[in-house]
Amino acid sequence: MHFHVFDAAGESLGSFGTADHGRRAVTKQIDRFSFAERASHWVSAICFLYAALTGLALWSPKLFWLSGVFGGGEVVRAWHPWAGMIFSCALGVMIRRWSAQMQLDEDDQIWLAKSHLYAQNIEAGLPESGRFNAGQKMLFWTQSAAALGLVFTGVVLWFPESMPRALRLGAILLHPACASVSIGGIIVHIYMSTLGVPGALQAMVRGTVSEEWAKSHHGKWYREVAGR
Amino acid sequence: MTTVAKLIDTTLCIGCKACEVACQEWNEQEFTLGVFANTYQTLPDLAPNFWNLIKFNEEYKDGAQAWLMAKYQCMHCAEPGCLKACPSPGAIVQLPNGIVDFHQDNCIGCGYCITGCPFDVPRLSPTTKKVYKCSLCSDRVGAGLTPACIRTCPTNCLTFGARADLVQIANQRAVELKADGHKDAGVYDGPGVGGTNVIYVLKHASTPESYGLPKDPTIPWTVALWKGPLKWVANAAFIGTAVGAMLHYLKFGPKEVHGDKAD
Repeated sequence: MHFHVFDAAGESLGSFGTADHGRRAVTKQIDRFSFAERASHWVSAICFLYAALTGLALWSPKLFWLSGVFGGGEVVRAWHPWAGMIFSCALGVMIRRWSAQMQLDEDDQIWLAKSHLYAQNIEAGLPESGRFNAGQKMLFWTQSAAALGLVFTGVVLWFPESMPRALRLGAILLHPACASVSIGGIIVHIYMSTLGVPGALQAMVRGTVSEEWAKSHHGKWYREVAGR
Repeated sequence: MTTVAKLIDTTLCIGCKACEVACQEWNEQEFTLGVFANTYQTLPDLAPNFWNLIKFNEEYKDGAQAWLMAKYQCMHCAEPGCLKACPSPGAIVQLPNGIVDFHQDNCIGCGYCITGCPFDVPRLSPTTKKVYKCSLCSDRVGAGLTPACIRTCPTNCLTFGARADLVQIANQRAVELKADGHKDAGVYDGPGVGGTNVIYVLKHASTPESYGLPKDPTIPWTVALWKGPLKWVANAAFIGTAVGAMLHYLKFGPKEVHGDKAD
């Protein structure tokens, strides 16, 4: 016998090859991300993608063709900074909501030291994670720091004619440097949230996860919300 | 093709500003009214519609008051910092004759060239959102004419020709000046940017700043680092991360939810 377990949204959460699991055809859903969290995440995600792709167009003449996809170089030059501004506002909402939950605790330190096990999908030796695991926390702080650098250097590059030369010289290097960190991080983030961890995308779209998903990936958080 | 150049022998400049007017007229630029600021300089700085400025500076040199005048415009570098920084292909072109030309049709107005230029020459127009600078009259040169400023110079302070010839003339002139007692005389042609196609003869060559010229100009190291090592490292990291993610999925697969057995 081979059963699929479906969540409330009708998405497959994975398949189970033994008959034992057939009884769990309907699973209980737990709220994971509020509307405000999801909205700020996706506003920032769309602005980030636009800013990253248009930014890559300005990163190298060999990638300038990307600007054609978004209406040409002049359009990109005009809108890239605004996308950055909206992105930083949405990120500001996420930082306000999450920074307390993103503090690394002692378990997270152990988790990080053993993160090679996580990468190999061997979770047995790892401490249970809270609402966010240590990898997500590291990504959060890396992206926030890079974004802060991007905003400040971005404003300098936005108005070259009214900025002191010394600032422009710094910004022209630091802006792409911060962007590189942030794009590198987002590649990992997109992989983990789509292919890497099935169910993660639906958590950020519909806001819910199955009880089993919560137990598996965020055991400490699951016990908090389940009250046991 | 022969590399062309402009020689500016500052010892022969009388500050008449005829070259400024010729530049404005040939390039059909509007004249901007300046304000008298106790100087013989026409305008305080280059502008999007003012590509050629005789900088004027008064200093004590060798115990005497000196009027230091130097024509200032694009230097047409062999290794142009503007071109290195420019993201838009075809907005800045380096012609086979050495002229560095801006094509405003392809310019997106990002202003990176302004930061990349070690001489602080390009100017962004707030109205057209495009960057402008001296073209060494590439249109005239292409038609076999000399640039407007040189055509108009009444004192032979300006000479146009093959770069190699002009370097020789400049060095010869520096030797003459030294023989005349100007021990600090020399040639200024930007070796740090591979040589400039605007060459100066200066009486006080050890202090080009006195003429408003940067000392030892080079492409800013932050621009060079961005367009060099940072780009290689980051491109490798982007591709490496994406390929790594793919290989990870193939080797380890997704993180499945544990079954009841884990409880």
